[in-house]
Amino acid sequence: MSFSTRRQAYRAEKQDHRKELKHVKIDESVIEKVDKLSLPKKKFYRQRAHSNPFSDHQLEYPISPAHMDWSKLYPHFYDSEKKKMTKDVTIADIGCGYGGLMIDLSPEFPDEMILGMEIRVQVTNYVEDRIIALRTNHAKENGYQNINVLRGNAMKFLPNFFNKGQLSKIFFCFPDPHFKQRKHKARIVTDTLLSEYAYVLKEGGIIYTITDVLDLHEWMVKHLEEHPLFERLSEEWEAQDKCVSIMRNATEEGKKVERNKGDKYIACFVRLPTPDII
Amino acid sequence: MLHPFQSVLLNRDGSLLFCVVKNEIKAFKVEGNGYVLRGEWVDDLDNTPLIKEKVLKEQARQLIENASKKLKTNDGEPVAQPKKQAKVPKPGPGAPPVYQYIRNLALSRDGKLLLACTDSDKAAVIFNIDLDDKDNIFKLIKRQPYPKRPNAITTSVDDKDLILADKFGDVYSMPIQNDVITSINAEKAPILGHVSMLTDVNMLTDSEGKQYIVTADRDEHIRISHYPQSFIVDKWLFGHEEFVSTICIPEWSDKLLFSAGGDKFVFSWNWKTGALLFKFDYTDLIQKYLTSDHLAPERFQNEKGDVIEYSVAKIVTLKDVPYIAFFVEATKVLFVLKVDEKSGALSLHQTLEFDEKIVSLTSALDVNTLCISLDNRDNQDCDLVKLLLLEGDVFIEQKDTNSQLMNTIRSTLKSDLIANVEAGDVYPLYHNASLRKHGEHFS
Ligand SMILES: C[S@@+](CC[C@H](N)C(=O)[O-])C[C@H]1O[C@@H](n2cnc3c(N)ncnc32)[C@H](O)[C@@H]1O
Repeated sequence: MSFSTRRQAYRAEKQDHRKELKHVKIDESVIEKVDKLSLPKKKFYRQRAHSNPFSDHQLEYPISPAHMDWSKLYPHFYDSEKKKMTKDVTIADIGCGYGGLMIDLSPEFPDEMILGMEIRVQVTNYVEDRIIALRTNHAKENGYQNINVLRGNAMKFLPNFFNKGQLSKIFFCFPDPHFKQRKHKARIVTDTLLSEYAYVLKEGGIIYTITDVLDLHEWMVKHLEEHPLFERLSEEWEAQDKCVSIMRNATEEGKKVERNKGDKYIACFVRLPTPDII
Repeated sequence: MLHPFQSVLLNRDGSLLFCVVKNEIKAFKVEGNGYVLRGEWVDDLDNTPLIKEKVLKEQARQLIENASKKLKTNDGEPVAQPKKQAKVPKPGPGAPPVYQYIRNLALSRDGKLLLACTDSDKAAVIFNIDLDDKDNIFKLIKRQPYPKRPNAITTSVDDKDLILADKFGDVYSMPIQNDVITSINAEKAPILGHVSMLTDVNMLTDSEGKQYIVTADRDEHIRISHYPQSFIVDKWLFGHEEFVSTICIPEWSDKLLFSAGGDKFVFSWNWKTGALLFKFDYTDLIQKYLTSDHLAPERFQNEKGDVIEYSVAKIVTLKDVPYIAFFVEATKVLFVLKVDEKSGALSLHQTLEFDEKIVSLTSALDVNTLCISLDNRDNQDCDLVKLLLLEGDVFIEQKDTNSQLMNTIRSTLKSDLIANVEAGDVYPLYHNASLRKHGEHFS
């Protein structure tokens, strides 16, 4: 069998699994059925490195945050008697890639719901399968129930998912650098997009950024510093924050940079109180 | 034949009617008991140098890019790059034609300035309206080019700033009286942006006099931001499932806002709370007016070839009567809805049918008048514009005024080289349909 037919067969099998498991509350009975689920293999999910954030993708997104059904993504946080969620998502990993950050954040914030948003389909499928496997393998202690992933274009539809001030942390880990001047508008941190991020972040909430590209680091710092609703946090603050140390090494991109002995530039910003309206 | 008017615009008291034909604007003014021609402006900008400049820039950019992957000889010597002359590309037979369009005609709030956008150099053009000049009331104040094609313009509530929304989602605000800025990106960052094509922009004021800017886009979004603190988003109005093409803010209410576009509804909102108050479904009403003009583009058709797509092109209102008027692109019908001021509920009030398709719609706020321009391609004798006056509670076609106006228009345009065209040379009149998303990109 050629790689592509194997990949096809693998993807089809995983898709069936996903359909079956994605939307069920995993409990003991399911575990008996599936035993230990093997973690998905990245090589079957590879995809073109870039997805154009400006094109009209076939995306699913709610008409408004009120239309979003989170119970499917976080069944353990759904109160079936009251028919509502017990929590809201408060941590977002934008462009989460293969999901490493969420997996390390999960045990650190057991009471917070964490969402990864990723624009590439196959990469999103990988993260879904990875979370299904982790949830199944850690069902006894209800592990990894607080993380999930959505396929979406965060540059267009973030406000469709989150209410004003809903988030306490937003992560931008190793975002696509879009080196060319002409492509700068495709960067995920721009002065105009920052106003949307400021809208979904609560006052005192934090934007985390990390990259191995100095030019992109300087760009993000410049735009965040210039934005009236953000203020940079000090190195002392970074040193004591547990998310900063997790972010440094948890993501797949971060590990790659580590192997290649690349630099990692970090900048964190706090969402300032909204000033008086003039 | 006479080229149809791509757009028409009335001032508040209806004394001035502005009409756009291709790359020219004509102004007609009421004098005595009829309209007379009082102003003209032609966009005769030759954009060849602009294109040339662009080509040169692009070449320079490519040279720099290529320098990094320069060809080397076997001894490692760089190979000299041939120096090419920048040629202005001539569009091939299949290439889309370039139109010297004038679009987005608008007036400042005090009615003293006329604003327009030109496709040729992606500029906003601002005129003082000088009624004392008997020959031509248009006094060009400035022509400000922008980096991307302007899609909608308005002015701040005090008329000091020009606010412009572009095709790439950015909004710029610039003092009208300032000098022209040559390099907008470096000197003047956008005041807000969507990652989507913007389709409309307008301003709101609340009871405390605070200003907001409303922006609508091709991805179902209507955003309300503070102004001038436009970095603070107040809210989104959520409910559209297709592109938004028009927003309408009535003066007779302190909370209502109407919008429409690719959805089958006209939406009524309370912009203060963000609540969607009412959706008026016009599907049944419009069916009998749909034609082959509304067939979806071939690549989005089904096997039977009967997929139809239609959208609202524009909603307008009047100063102090609770009506809104709207039309669906490329149809011969105008609908008037009555608005319940308290609840925001909409109900059909009047249906006006015409012999030809409506191209553009405007209103004279203070004198309860609507005006439409019509697509005369199939009927050279049809009126290019029609005025409709609210009498009692219905809009009535002003037959006498209209025929007098048409006489003026026909006689002034008789020898106009721009306005007289072959039937095949009419500029595209219907732009909305192309805003519809079909989700072509799967991965
Ligand atoms: C270089 S990767 C980094 C992934 C991950 N954060 C890590 O550190 O390993 C950047 C990711 O952002 C995703 N991305 C780019 N633009 C996006 C957008 N507008 N919305 C959501 N994801 C996006 C890309 O598909 C890609 O997977």
